[in-house]
Amino acid sequence: MRTSVALLACGLLVLSGCRRDADPGAPVAVVDGPFALEVPPGFPPVPDNAAYPMTQASVQLGRALFFDPRLSRDGTVACASCHFPNRAFSDTVVLSVGIEGRLGMRNAPPLFNLAWHPAFFRDGGVPTLEQLAIAPIHDPNEMDFNIHEAAQRLANEDPYARLSQLAYGEPLTAFLLVRALASYQRTLLSGWSRYDRFRQGDMDALTGQEQRGLELFNSAELKCGSCHGGFDFTDRQYHNIGLYELSSDPGRERISLDPQDRGRFKTPSLRNVALTAPYMHDGTLRTLEEVVDHFAGGGEAAPNKSPLITGFTMSEQDKQDLIAFLNSLNDERPIDQVGHY
Amino acid sequence: MQHMGWVAVAAMLMSGCGKGPTEGPAQAGVLRLVVVPEWAGQPLQFFTEYREHMDRRVTVELLKMYFGELQLERDGEASALSDVVYMDLSDGPVSFHWAVDAGSHTAVTGHLGVPQEMNYADPSLYGAGHPLNVNNGTYWTWATGYRFAMFEGRYALDPASTAPLVNAFVFHPGREFCYLPLTFAPSGGIPVEPGDTTEVRVTVDVEKFFHSSAGEIDLATENQDHGGVPALALKVATNIQLSMSVE
Repeated sequence: MRTSVALLACGLLVLSGCRRDADPGAPVAVVDGPFALEVPPGFPPVPDNAAYPMTQASVQLGRALFFDPRLSRDGTVACASCHFPNRAFSDTVVLSVGIEGRLGMRNAPPLFNLAWHPAFFRDGGVPTLEQLAIAPIHDPNEMDFNIHEAAQRLANEDPYARLSQLAYGEPLTAFLLVRALASYQRTLLSGWSRYDRFRQGDMDALTGQEQRGLELFNSAELKCGSCHGGFDFTDRQYHNIGLYELSSDPGRERISLDPQDRGRFKTPSLRNVALTAPYMHDGTLRTLEEVVDHFAGGGEAAPNKSPLITGFTMSEQDKQDLIAFLNSLNDERPIDQVGHY
Repeated sequence: MQHMGWVAVAAMLMSGCGKGPTEGPAQAGVLRLVVVPEWAGQPLQFFTEYREHMDRRVTVELLKMYFGELQLERDGEASALSDVVYMDLSDGPVSFHWAVDAGSHTAVTGHLGVPQEMNYADPSLYGAGHPLNVNNGTYWTWATGYRFAMFEGRYALDPASTAPLVNAFVFHPGREFCYLPLTFAPSGGIPVEPGDTTEVRVTVDVEKFFHSSAGEIDLATENQDHGGVPALALKVATNIQLSMSVE
């Protein structure tokens, strides 16, 4: 039933096209106990979060918060306003729209497999999921609110009062609010694509064209896997890929203060990449075709461009094969595991 | 603001962020640290037009600071006063006080900013009244640290202009390299008598934020730092450090 409710909510969200994605009054069934996170086959164990283990209630609490626009100052923007579940929890626009129509700084990234991330945001400035939850709530261009007032606003409301007691044995506070949001986001797992089935031995899971695309992806000439490798298709490092000769966005430099990091951004996962357009930190590339063209062209001559970005030649058929493979990385089931519970 | 300052002091003592008089040693007095914002020897008036060192018209609209690891020193020994104190000087002087050992102390020492361990702790740990509570508006969400100082206002480059000041300057120095040492050593020492209150009055001359022996700020080219311009951040932090004095 909850799956249906969640899907219905997602459908309404997309249909309405507005910035109120949540129904904070939606009923939430609660049976507390450990949350049975289903980790995709072949993935490493989920890093331990023993201090605040995921329980059914903490995850439900975080989920309710994630979809609640009352986390924003004027009650119009929820986390889900810029992180659409049916878009791998990314946005559909170049820059997300915060309260009062304010534009964000960078393209909103998708949200999945976050438990394995050593740092968050495209420049890696935030080290934990708990601290990540604070940023959009406080950002003047996003929710323009603060975690204490948000917790105070919701603490006595249903389902928050009930879920907070169940999850943590005390009323909702800012401290618990960010932990619950982190708890929910740890359940967003991507790893059930046709490619994953293929990797596990189902040779029919990928078409011939997609298999040719996979070979190209891993070829010595394209070497996509050099950065987009591993179970999550990312090395989690920071690279300047020559999007601009001189990047107006400092990228990783904003955190490290090292000029060599100018315009370097964290390698994004390619899972669900067909769902997360537009691309790059500033959303400047609209389609996967444009992305492939960028890498084929070798990018602009940024002084600290990754030496791996050298360009390559490929036929139109090769390009379509590669893109077909990228499309096979879409999950075949919802990323949000809570909805299935 | 004096009233607000004492509210802050009371809150700090109640929350255990500083030593309270009721918890002090047997032969204890009270040390009061008063931080007074001025402009060239006069009480700083926010939103009032001044002339900075290059004769440019400026107003000051926001001034917040942290002092970290405050200690009271005597005979080469130091006793801790506070891990961190926060002050919003936008309404005038701010005071802090602690119960301390009676005796002839020599200096209050500390740093401009937030100690590293606290700077990168989870800010949701800090509740209402704590210096690091995010409601103070000093937390950098994107870098998970605190602005050690927030100095904001407006300026006009043309000294002869009479138009309203429109251009904004914003200086937010932070991060480890801006964690600069402070020493407040009154010429007469800091004598603390049992049961009495001794005041150390720190004057912050905001006019010197724009220039010091460490460098000057040219508002034509240096008017914004949100943590991404380390050279400018360090210059501003150093100017703030050097702007402080005690009698």
